[in-house]
Order: sequence, then C-alpha cells, then structure tokens
Amino acid sequence: MPNHWFWWLLTAACVVWYSTITFYVSIKGAKDIKNMLARLDEIKRKELKES
Amino acid sequence: MTNFNWLLDGSIVGLYLLVTMVAGLMVRKYVGKVEHFLVAGREMDVYLGIASLAATEFGIVTCMYTAQNGYEKGFAGATPGILMALAMLGVGLTGFVIKPLRDSGVITIPELLEKRFGQRVRWAAGVVIVLGGLLNMGVFLRTGGQFLVLVAGLNVRYLEIMMTALLVGVAIYTILGGMLSVLVTDFLQFVVMSAGLILVTILILVNVGWDKLVTTVEMSYGAGGFNPFVNPTMGWQYVLFNLMLNTAAVLTWQTTIARVLAAKDTKTGRQIYTRTSFFFVCRFLIPGIWGIAALATLGPVANTLEAMPQYLSTAVPAGLMGILIAAMLAADMSTDSSYMLTWCSVIYNDILAPFRKKPWSERKGLFWNRTIVALIGIFLLLYGLWYPLKGDLWTYLGVTGTIYLASISVLLIACCYWRRANSWGAVASIVVSAAIPFAYLVMEQLPSTATLAKSIGPYYSGIATYVLSGVGMVVGSLIKPRGRLREEAA
Repeated sequence: MPNHWFWWLLTAACVVWYSTITFYVSIKGAKDIKNMLARLDEIKRKELKES
Repeated sequence: MTNFNWLLDGSIVGLYLLVTMVAGLMVRKYVGKVEHFLVAGREMDVYLGIASLAATEFGIVTCMYTAQNGYEKGFAGATPGILMALAMLGVGLTGFVIKPLRDSGVITIPELLEKRFGQRVRWAAGVVIVLGGLLNMGVFLRTGGQFLVLVAGLNVRYLEIMMTALLVGVAIYTILGGMLSVLVTDFLQFVVMSAGLILVTILILVNVGWDKLVTTVEMSYGAGGFNPFVNPTMGWQYVLFNLMLNTAAVLTWQTTIARVLAAKDTKTGRQIYTRTSFFFVCRFLIPGIWGIAALATLGPVANTLEAMPQYLSTAVPAGLMGILIAAMLAADMSTDSSYMLTWCSVIYNDILAPFRKKPWSERKGLFWNRTIVALIGIFLLLYGLWYPLKGDLWTYLGVTGTIYLASISVLLIACCYWRRANSWGAVASIVVSAAIPFAYLVMEQLPSTATLAKSIGPYYSGIATYVLSGVGMVVGSLIKPRGRLREEAA
C-alpha cells in the first residue's frame, strides 16, 4: 500500500467510480431524455386535443 | 508556449460547441408553459438528474478554486468535497428537508416558506437568495475566461471577448429552451466534461506519478497537507465552517434543489442525491490533484489561481488539449445556464409575485422569464468585468453564498420541523445572515477595516453567521406574542 493510503484509496476510488458512472449515465441518461421528450410530446398533444 | 493546436484542438472544440448549440435549440419547441421553462414540466428522471446535477455543480470556476485549494493546501484542500459528499448522502438517504420540499410541489424554496411565514418573508427570502446567488456567480465568467485564455495561450486582452462570447452562447439556448435546454445540454456537457477530467487525471498520475505528488505535498506543507486539522491555514474552524456551508448548500442551494424540484417524484429526487454524492469528492479531489501537479512541476508562482491552467497548457498534448478545453467549456456552460435559469426562477416566482395581482398568461410569463435570463446575463458581464477578487476564490464563494445559505437553511428546517417557528424568527434570521457576510465583504474591501477583517477571518465570520442565524430564528419566534400568532393563523 502506498504512503498516505487514505488519499491514495480516495484518488483511486474517484478515477474508477467516475469512469464507471460516466459510462453508465451516458447510456441511461440518453434514454431518460428520450422518455422525457416523449412524455412532454404526449402531454402537448393531449392539451391540443382538449383545446 | 502552449500545446494548443488550432487545427486539431480547435476542431474538437468547434464540434463540441456546434453539437451543444444544436441540441439546446432543438428542444425549445417543447416549451409551451412557464412550468416547462423553469422545471422541465417535472419530467426529469434519475440518470438525467445525476448528469445535470454533476454538470451544473462543476464549472471552470469549481475547477479553478479546487485546484487552487490543492496547490495551497495539498490533499487536505479536498476536505470541503468530502464534507459535501457526506452531507448529500445523509440528506438523500433520510430525505431530510428535501422530502417535504418536493412533496409540497413548489417551484422555489421561498414559495414553500410563504406557507409558514407569509408573503413578506417569501419576498425577502427571494431577494436574499438572488443577492447571494448573483454575487456568487459574478466571478464565474472572469475565472472561466482566465482559464481558457491561459490554457489556449491567448493574449490576456482577449479575456473580455472570451467572457462575452461564452455568455452569449449560453444565454441563447437558455433563453429559448429554459430548463429543457439546460437538461439536454447538461447531459452532453456531463459526458464531455467527465471524459476530459478522467483522461487528464490519468495523464497526470502517469506522467507526474503518485510518489512525486505526495513528496511535493510533504515538503511544502508537512502533515498539514494531508490533515486539515493540523494545517495552519485551515484548522477546526475551516472544517466546521465548511461542514455548515456544505450542509446548507445541499439543503438549499437553489441550483441543487432545482434538480429535486424538477424530478418526476420525491423518490427520484432522493436517488439523485444519494447517487451523485460521491461526485462531490471527485469534484474537489480531481482538480486538487491537478493543482498539486502544478505545484510539483512549476514550484512557487505569483498567482496560485493561475498555476493549474499554466501547468496544463504545457503538460497536456495536442488532441487531448482540445478535449480538455471542450470539457472545461462544457463544465462552464452547464453551470452558467443552470445558474441563470435558477436565479431567474426565484426572481419571477418570488420577487415579482407581489406585482402579479392577476395570474399572468403563459405567454406573458414566458416572455418575462426570458427577459430576466437576458438581464441576469448582462449583470454577470458587467460585474465580472469590474469586480476585483481579493483572497482565495473558494472563500469568496463561501462568504457570498453564506449570505443566503445560513438563513434559508435555518428557515427551511424550521418551516419543515419546528411548529413554533414564525415570521419574526424568519425575518431575524434573514437580517443576521445577510448582514454579517455583507459587512465582512465590505470590510475586506475598505483599506481602513481590511486589517480587522483579516484578523477575524472568513471562517469565524461564517460560523458566526450560521450560529446567529439559528439564534435569530429561535429568539424571534419565541418573543412573538402568542396573540399575534393566533391572529395570523386565523
């Protein structure tokens, strides 16, 4: 274990966690945008129909 | 001399800007109501929320002050990030404050405060939030411009042009698409920003090496470079002030809370908090390491804020330089757009509320929201051009943020969990919380009181603000006659 293990572990955790979360959120977030826009589109169409 | 290559790196940056602008403008067609403009119709899901929160809370300004912390304080400079992550995790897991806030269905915090403390407190809270927020954001543009000019090796006289161009680009899509544009561009910006941050950090760890980073901190700061409690520039007061500041920020910082309020339900809002919490360690530690690498490579420099960009301008090779600048532009644009929109939401929803005798039409509401965003942009440009920053950046942000963080966190906690809390306590808390940091900032600027301000220091002044703001709430609430309370309730 390198010197100052606390900071070494925290730095390693940052690089690993951040890389993983970036990859995961890139995929899941794109789906979220697609769904969000679809829901907004649907609401807009409903409101247009009602008016 | 910088490694920035206009053809290669310039193309990467240009492509990034083009894609962001197109994406930001494309979603403007979904904006038909004020609710779409301010909270994206409350349709945001958890992963988009994580991306947006992370992108918003990391701007060039963040990168600059956290790197400055790393340069000046070593690894111990990442302490605020650890404290913020712990606060965010705790709040996300327990739902403390954010659950009742999201359940209430409000658009801004002052709207909830009105339900307990009345319309005047809502208005005063709105003013304090906007005052603290805009003073805080006032330094973003200049700092962002400083970074880009240094890293790209441009002449300093282009700083103002760089600031203006950055702001105009962001303002265009924020004015047209509101929160929807902000969310979509935040997502793209999160991906680009994260890629740049990770790649540059790996490059530094490989090129400079862990041992050299640690040795540099040991030689420069001794044990204080690793432990904030024994660092002569930090100590218990620094840790306590940052604990209070970061807990308050997690509970009430309007840009952070805006993600909870835009979430599709309370559970999603809490998940966004718990899953993003560790990002706040990265937010301080990653640029902190860049700052330490600058110290290891450049040695002592005159302006510690500029050490990290100076170092990166020669350490990062062409190609990666384009990704770095695109990443930093992404970080800055996402922060600027979210901040402009957030303060706009408070001005429209809370400060202008008493002037709307009759409800405004959606069209008129959208017009005013867009106008307010444009006016905030103009203010930022003017403030950023003339305000001379003294002391370190993180402390300035902490002091200006405290203007509203102290009172609003006290008001919000009291509103949610203390039945005896009332308008007298709320007013006392707001006055105390605004007066102390404001007086400190003025004292710091005046030559006759600058020495006194320095001897008090920002940490004691900050701690006093949080404590006295709480005391103001308790005393003010308790001295209000019960007869007046019954009258108000009736």
